[in-house]
Amino acid sequence: MRTTSIPHEQLAALVVDLVGAGTTVLAPARAERGHVDYRPISSLAEAVLGGGMPRRSLKEFFLPPTEPLLTWRYVQGAVELHDVPTTFASCVVLGARPCDAAALDVVDRVMDWDYHDELWFGRRAATTIVSLACSAADASCFCPAVGLAPDSTKGADILLRPGSDGFLAEVVSEKGEALVAAHPDRFRPAPEPLIPAAAAADAQSCQRPTVPAPLPLPAIRSWLESNFEHPVWEQLALRCHGCGACAAVCPTCHCFDIVDEPEGVTHGTRRRNWDTCQTGRFTVHASGHNPRASQTARIRQRVMHKFTIYPAKFGETLCSGCGRCARECPAGMDLPEILALLTAFATAPTQPKEVVA
Amino acid sequence: MNLYQPHLVRISDIVDETPDTRTLRLAFKDDTLASTFDFKAGQFGEYSVFGWGESTFCIASSPTRKGTIECTFKAVGKATKAMRELGVGDEMGFRGPYGNCFPLDRMEGASLVFIAGGIGLAPVRCVIWNALDLREHFKDVTIVYGARTVSDLVYKRELADWQERGDVKLWQTVDPGGETAEWAHEVGFVPPIVEKAAPSAENAYAIVCGPPVMIKFTLPVLAKLGFADDHVYTTLENRMKCGIGKCGRCNVGPVYVCKDGPVFNAAELARLPQEF
Repeated sequence: MRTTSIPHEQLAALVVDLVGAGTTVLAPARAERGHVDYRPISSLAEAVLGGGMPRRSLKEFFLPPTEPLLTWRYVQGAVELHDVPTTFASCVVLGARPCDAAALDVVDRVMDWDYHDELWFGRRAATTIVSLACSAADASCFCPAVGLAPDSTKGADILLRPGSDGFLAEVVSEKGEALVAAHPDRFRPAPEPLIPAAAAADAQSCQRPTVPAPLPLPAIRSWLESNFEHPVWEQLALRCHGCGACAAVCPTCHCFDIVDEPEGVTHGTRRRNWDTCQTGRFTVHASGHNPRASQTARIRQRVMHKFTIYPAKFGETLCSGCGRCARECPAGMDLPEILALLTAFATAPTQPKEVVA
Repeated sequence: MNLYQPHLVRISDIVDETPDTRTLRLAFKDDTLASTFDFKAGQFGEYSVFGWGESTFCIASSPTRKGTIECTFKAVGKATKAMRELGVGDEMGFRGPYGNCFPLDRMEGASLVFIAGGIGLAPVRCVIWNALDLREHFKDVTIVYGARTVSDLVYKRELADWQERGDVKLWQTVDPGGETAEWAHEVGFVPPIVEKAAPSAENAYAIVCGPPVMIKFTLPVLAKLGFADDHVYTTLENRMKCGIGKCGRCNVGPVYVCKDGPVFNAAELARLPQEF
C-alpha cells in the first residue's frame, strides 16, 4: 500500500499509547527462564526486537493450547448450554517474525474451509500484526527454502525494516493502515531522514548451504504422492520419539482434540486442546484399531500433510520455514535436511531407493 | 453460536437392538429446528453427553422421516457408555449433519444392492429406508445382511418387515455357529452369501458397510459379479473430533473423511493409502 516510517522513540511512544488505551501489545521479550518468547509488554524497553527467534510461535495467541468451546449446566434434568464469546480485546503484535506472520495466513485457509471458525477469526480480527524484517538468521531457519523471505509481508499488516534511527514501515493491509491512521503523530513520511541501515538479511545468508532455496516444492509434492511406501519413512522413524514437540512449536500445525472437563457433577466446560498426529493415540478407533499404528506412518503423515496434502487442498505449503521443529527436536530430527533429502530423491534421474546417510 | 456448539436433543425412544447395541430416537429441543432440520443419507453427526464428550456416528434414520433422527451405537468408549446410561426424556447434544452423502440422485432408475455386516447396517439402513420411501424411483432392491449370531442382528423388526415385502429381496445370514435351532435363513459369512444371492450388476449400485474384513472379501465378489468400482459405495469410519475439516484427525492421504467423505466408492478407496 504505502511506506511510512517510525523513529525509535515514536515506536516507544506508540507502545505507551496502545497499552494506555487498553490494547495488549505482544512482542518478543525475555521470559523468566531467559529465552525469548512473544509476551505482553508495557514498554518498548521490554521488547527484544531483532534478537533471537522466539521459542514458541504466535499460534497460541490465536489457537490457545487449551480453550473453552462452551459450558454446560444440568438444571433439573435439562441441559443449559452457554456459548463462549467470539469477539476479543484488541491486540497488536510488535516485531512478529515474518515466518510467524506468514503461518497465520496459511492456517487461515483451514479455519475458513467451508466452516468459518469464529474463535480463530475473532482473534485474527482483533489483532494487528506488525512484523519486523529479520536482520539475522540462525542455523535452523529455512524460510527461503519454502518460498518466503526474511522480509516477507505475507500475513503482516505492517512490515518494519530496521533503519538507522527507527524503522521503515511498509503498510500492507487495511488493518495496518488503520493503525497508522489512528496514531498520526507517531509516523513520519517515508524517506525522511530514515535511511535503512541494516537491510534485511538476504535470503542466502538465511539458508544453510545443504538446503536448496527455494526448494523444488512441486517436484517434492509429486514425489511424495507416489512414494507413500518408501524406505525413507522407516529410516526417519527410527530417530523420532513421537513426542510431538515439533507440532507444539510449529506455527502451522493446528490439529486439536475436543474434550469435556466436568467441574463438579452438574456443570463443566467443553474444550479444545492442541493435539498432534505424532502421538500413537491420535487416530485410534473406538474398536482399538489404529490406522497409523507405527511411528513410520506418523512421521510420514507429518511430512505428507505439510508438503502434499495441504498443498493439494489449498495451493500452499503448510510450513513457513521458521525452523522451530529442528531447533526443539530432542532427537535432532531436522525438517530442512529431510526436505533436502526428498529433493535429492525427487530430482534424481533414477530415484534411489536407498537412504543416503 | 460457535461451530462447536451442539443442538440440544431429547431422547424420545430407546430400542435395544442386541445385548450390546442400542438405538436412540432423538427429538430436537428447538421446535423450529425440529421442523426444518434436513440431511442426506450417509451424513453423520457428533453426538454428545455433557461431561463425557462427543462421539461420531452416521444418522441411522432416513431423511424421508422428518421430525426426529436416530443413531445406533455400541457402548465401547467413554461417551457411548454414558449415552447408554441415558433414559427417555434425557437430553444430549448433536452437531451436524456433516460430510457428503450416498449419491441417490445418480442411482435413480437403477437397482440397489445393500450389503451390511453387524452394526454396519446402521448407515445402510438410512439409505434403505430412503430408497424404500421412494420405491418407484428404483428397480430391484436386494439386501444381504449378516451378523455373528442371531442375537447380534440389529433392526430385527425391520428385517422382518423387509422379509415380508414383495419389492425387497432380503438375504439374512449368521456366521457358522451363530445360528439357533429356529434360524430359517442362511448360515455363512457375508461374501459367499453375496455370491449366492448373485444380484445383477446391470444398471445397479452396491452399498457396502461392515467390518473391514467383510468389506475386504466382499469387494472381489462384487467385481466378479460385474460391478464397476465406481458403482460400489461404502463409508470410512476414521476417528474424528471436529467433523468439519479443522482438527486434522480423520485425514487419510489427500482426503479428510469428514469433509470429502464419509461416503467413498471403491475406485476412490483404491487410490487412498491404507490408513483407515
